[in-house]
Amino acid sequence: MPEPTEAPAGRVAVEERLFSLVLALLATEQGLTKSEILSTVQGYRQRYSMSGPNASLERQFERDKDDIRELGIPLETVESAGDPGNNQLTRYRIPKGEYDLPKEITFSPAEIAMLSLAATVWRQGSLSDESHRAILKLRSLGIESDEPVIGYAPRVRIRESSFEPLRQALDHQSVVEFPYLKPGESRARTRTVAPLALVQHHGRWHLSAHDLTVDAGRTFLLSRIVGPVVPVKRTWARPDGGGHAERSLTDLDTLWASQVAVIRVEPGTDASTRLAKRASAESGATLELHYTDVDVLADELATFGPEVVVEFPRRLIDAVIARHVKTVRAHRGGSNSPDSRATRG
Amino acid sequence: MAKAPLHARDKLAFLLALVPYLMDHGHVSVADAAKHFGVDDEQIRESVRLIAVSGVPGETSSYQHEDLFDIDWDLFEDSDEIVITHLVAIDDSPRFSAREAAALIAGLQYLSSLPEQADRDVLGSLMSKLAAGSSGRPSEVAVGSSEVDSTLARIRDSVAAGHRIEFDYLNSRGGAEKRTVDPLRIQSLDQDWYLRGWDHVRQAVRTFRLDRMSGLVATQEPISHRAGEIAVPDSLFESSDTDLTVVVELPEDAIGMIADYVTTDPPVSGRNGRCRVTLHVAHHHGLKRLIAGLSGVVTVIGPDTARSSVADWAQAALDRYAGEIDAQ
Repeated sequence: MPEPTEAPAGRVAVEERLFSLVLALLATEQGLTKSEILSTVQGYRQRYSMSGPNASLERQFERDKDDIRELGIPLETVESAGDPGNNQLTRYRIPKGEYDLPKEITFSPAEIAMLSLAATVWRQGSLSDESHRAILKLRSLGIESDEPVIGYAPRVRIRESSFEPLRQALDHQSVVEFPYLKPGESRARTRTVAPLALVQHHGRWHLSAHDLTVDAGRTFLLSRIVGPVVPVKRTWARPDGGGHAERSLTDLDTLWASQVAVIRVEPGTDASTRLAKRASAESGATLELHYTDVDVLADELATFGPEVVVEFPRRLIDAVIARHVKTVRAHRGGSNSPDSRATRG
Repeated sequence: MAKAPLHARDKLAFLLALVPYLMDHGHVSVADAAKHFGVDDEQIRESVRLIAVSGVPGETSSYQHEDLFDIDWDLFEDSDEIVITHLVAIDDSPRFSAREAAALIAGLQYLSSLPEQADRDVLGSLMSKLAAGSSGRPSEVAVGSSEVDSTLARIRDSVAAGHRIEFDYLNSRGGAEKRTVDPLRIQSLDQDWYLRGWDHVRQAVRTFRLDRMSGLVATQEPISHRAGEIAVPDSLFESSDTDLTVVVELPEDAIGMIADYVTTDPPVSGRNGRCRVTLHVAHHHGLKRLIAGLSGVVTVIGPDTARSSVADWAQAALDRYAGEIDAQ
């Protein structure tokens, strides 16, 4: 019996196989079974053995499906009506109506220019890759863009390594665990949450999630997630409907508006120039600043050292003082570092 | 994790975008298509060759001629021009994926704080269009709006008009100076806005934080240095030879917080997930502010002058709370 051969002439580039699979699945109304796909579609058929097994080819097909879905292509599975669950009879297809961009959606040249600028906001990570793919799809509409918006280079940076795994968890609706270090606590506690939204508010990334341990909604600052984000095998009945991101931003805005700090700034200093621009009220050297998180504000005010004195609230005064005390202790005297063994060679 | 390389997936996305474009245009040169998509000519040619031999298995399951795309080969080979003569399976642009739509929507939300984006309705309708053109509900990623310094709009006008600006600038050493600048580019990083421009006193490109500017005057004087003519480095944070070199210790997972200052020297790992890294900072004035804001996270190890400048800064702050320290 002849072995399945993989002659060099039969080698098909990955993109050709993926492209052929998309075309085949778009062209079929009733769908194709796995064995039909593997035995006929370009890139699979060359490696298909009539006598089976085709285990590695089947795994290849599974990965290709994931890749295609990753691009937002609606690849459907249709179970056999007579024998559901029999995956040999399961059919695959891409319904044309759900693949095509609806005809009524058009963009003006000015809108294309604005979207192109929006895509440059993300410099790295999945948001950048995805915006560029979206722009590619826009270009396929053949609309010429207005002159690019010049003189601007707006950027949002995502420094927190927890962002990507949390975004994956959002898309896959999975429950995750991560170690979370609250200020003032000496060690991180593991949180088990169902992510609902990722929002940037006043320059900080927040996770809005349902905390399974306390069975209530909680907001987490990504910068306080101090270890890996790990998916766990737990389920949580997610409420229907979206709008979590918008709600989360509204809640954060409300919190921001409700909390106010009173500080005194030294005239003519960096603190006075920069903080005065953000103040909601100003009277001489006394400023009022709104905030969402007392520790985030304390970190920021601490950078200004003696240029700022906090007058209200008490918690903020204490938080700023505690920071300076810690800084002085860590930097006075010789190298009294917590780990003097990590010396440079 | 044997995923198809990202490369192949991106090539697939490109092929699926190129077909409807070529079809709509009927007859287009390789050069024009390359320009439209912002890719090189060879990528267009390679993709067209692949499209031209692709198709569906068809009735016979054997990729007969009528099941394949076809192009005018003579025109393609001789004149570098593309005409698709037979189409298979696709004729429209694909929808956005939920993640793609979400990425652009969040980008637009960020741009909505720009002065010329005052018309929120325009952005709102653009966002709804993206959502409607997406294959699933856009994922829940959002950027909140924020107030932007009012100087931004005025500087923006000067950039557009090509006019010089003057302002008082408090440098990070604490000194105030009058600066005369040809504004070239407005750049942002999250909540912070910067102007890149040609500084007439320093005779060099400089970066200014908008929130450190005051007394802005937009002159009618045309700029003498234009964005196209001089190199403006993309990175906001350039180190120079006069920088201080400082060794700090911090938890390994906190390196991202000081990534802008870290040199290329690899971190040296120590105990308990802590490590030491070398930083470049412009001067002690910048260092003490940076470290004071990362209290309990980052500790300066050396040199001693750097350690004491940080300690002095925090102590001076504590002195201002003299009456309240006893409790600590």
